[in-house]
Amino acid sequence: MTKTLAIAQKELSVYFKSPIAYIILIVTITVFNIFFYMIIDQNREATLRDVFAVMEFMFVFLVPLLTMRVFAEEKASGTMEFLMTTPTSNTSIVLGKYLGSFLFFSLLLGPTVIYYLIIEYFGQPDRRPVATGFLGLWLEGGLFVAVGILTSSWTRSQVVAAITSYVILFLLYFSASFIPYTSEAFAPVIRYISTLTHAANFSVGLFNLADVVYYLSGIALCLILTRISVENRLWR
Amino acid sequence: MVVAQNISKHFGNIEALKNISFEIDRGEIVGFLGKNGAGKTTLMRILTSYLSPSAGKASIAGQDITRNSLAIRRKIGYLPENPPLYPNMTVREYLKFAARLKDIPARTMRLSIDKVMDDCRLLYVQNRLIAHLSKGYKQRIGIAQAIIHEPELLILDEPTSGLDPVQIQQVRKLIKDIEHKRTVLLSTHILSEIEQIARRILIINRGELIKDRPLEGLLKDAGAANLEEVFLKLNPPQAQRIDD
Repeated sequence: MTKTLAIAQKELSVYFKSPIAYIILIVTITVFNIFFYMIIDQNREATLRDVFAVMEFMFVFLVPLLTMRVFAEEKASGTMEFLMTTPTSNTSIVLGKYLGSFLFFSLLLGPTVIYYLIIEYFGQPDRRPVATGFLGLWLEGGLFVAVGILTSSWTRSQVVAAITSYVILFLLYFSASFIPYTSEAFAPVIRYISTLTHAANFSVGLFNLADVVYYLSGIALCLILTRISVENRLWR
Repeated sequence: MVVAQNISKHFGNIEALKNISFEIDRGEIVGFLGKNGAGKTTLMRILTSYLSPSAGKASIAGQDITRNSLAIRRKIGYLPENPPLYPNMTVREYLKFAARLKDIPARTMRLSIDKVMDDCRLLYVQNRLIAHLSKGYKQRIGIAQAIIHEPELLILDEPTSGLDPVQIQQVRKLIKDIEHKRTVLLSTHILSEIEQIARRILIINRGELIKDRPLEGLLKDAGAANLEEVFLKLNPPQAQRIDD
């Protein structure tokens, strides 16, 4: 456990020691703010539903940029050899890295809570969809980070890691759009796989255990596959 | 301390190591010698449990390297060929990270870090970013992380490659200081270095162990004045193929 925390702490500090973290933080929050202003200005409604939809869409593009370096950089620079020859289990390495990146993602999501305070100040928002909406985004980010870490564990090239996670995240995000072009039998499966289906439930105030299970099992699956990939010696 | 039995390793069709067996006693200083690509690094990676052998067994301090890999990693200090450093960390931060991963208890951590920085002459640069330090410093930081948990066995892969003569002297002295305390296994292709440090030489050529002798015996057998002559006799330049 202490080693998982040591690795998570190191991951988080690596983010803040490069300018990329600050650029991503500033650019993302600025873009979110602009969309928040535009949506509220046009809808004139005290709800964050559309803001959540925009944020979710942006995370598809953003998270792979955060996670691409997680394993790829360590492999390319040879520090993976250091990590794996210390008495640290592969599970601790994977969990520590996930935790560090997920915390960074949470820091990205954290400041947007102010949107709730703003609409609360100027209107009477329904609090439940706001709360479940944030929870949904947080869980979805958790899944995206897990996918990004998995693809980063497959390669030593950060570009390959980012592109592979874009492919997977696009498939997850847009899969519902393919339903009209597939047979009826697959429709429920594809709808279940789509992240949009689950995030939409959260953003209208529905808290279904099935949606939570979807995200948590997706995260667990990605982390298990990452551990297998780290253990697999093909890339060494 | 180290027992290797018929270790082989292949990567696809390439046979990197063929049936290598040797034993190293506690307190011995052993040098691995071989051309680039002879299999030295692969063998060291197998002993540190970073790679698993395709065939054969190895044990360290009586424990099998594949079955008890975590326990064995506590007993080993390893410096890979390129020191595995995080350029954005300061020297102290990096050594603290290494100490945490190597199970050094929190109450003695500060002491261990200060001691190893003193041993490796790093105190002066402890708060500098690793990215800004010279190659000699980086190599010493690499050695510092390898010895911070006081391992019984130290495995050093080309510890002086790419250093200037002054830095080589410093690193060599550092290894000399360590040798009284623990078993050391080092690889290099700088022959004078291995002559000065190691007591016993293992020569590897194309994945095969072709010599395993104490230094004096090796020189006597070959009727050579120094190791360079022995090495050139075993690896005649005209016999080298371009793909070596």
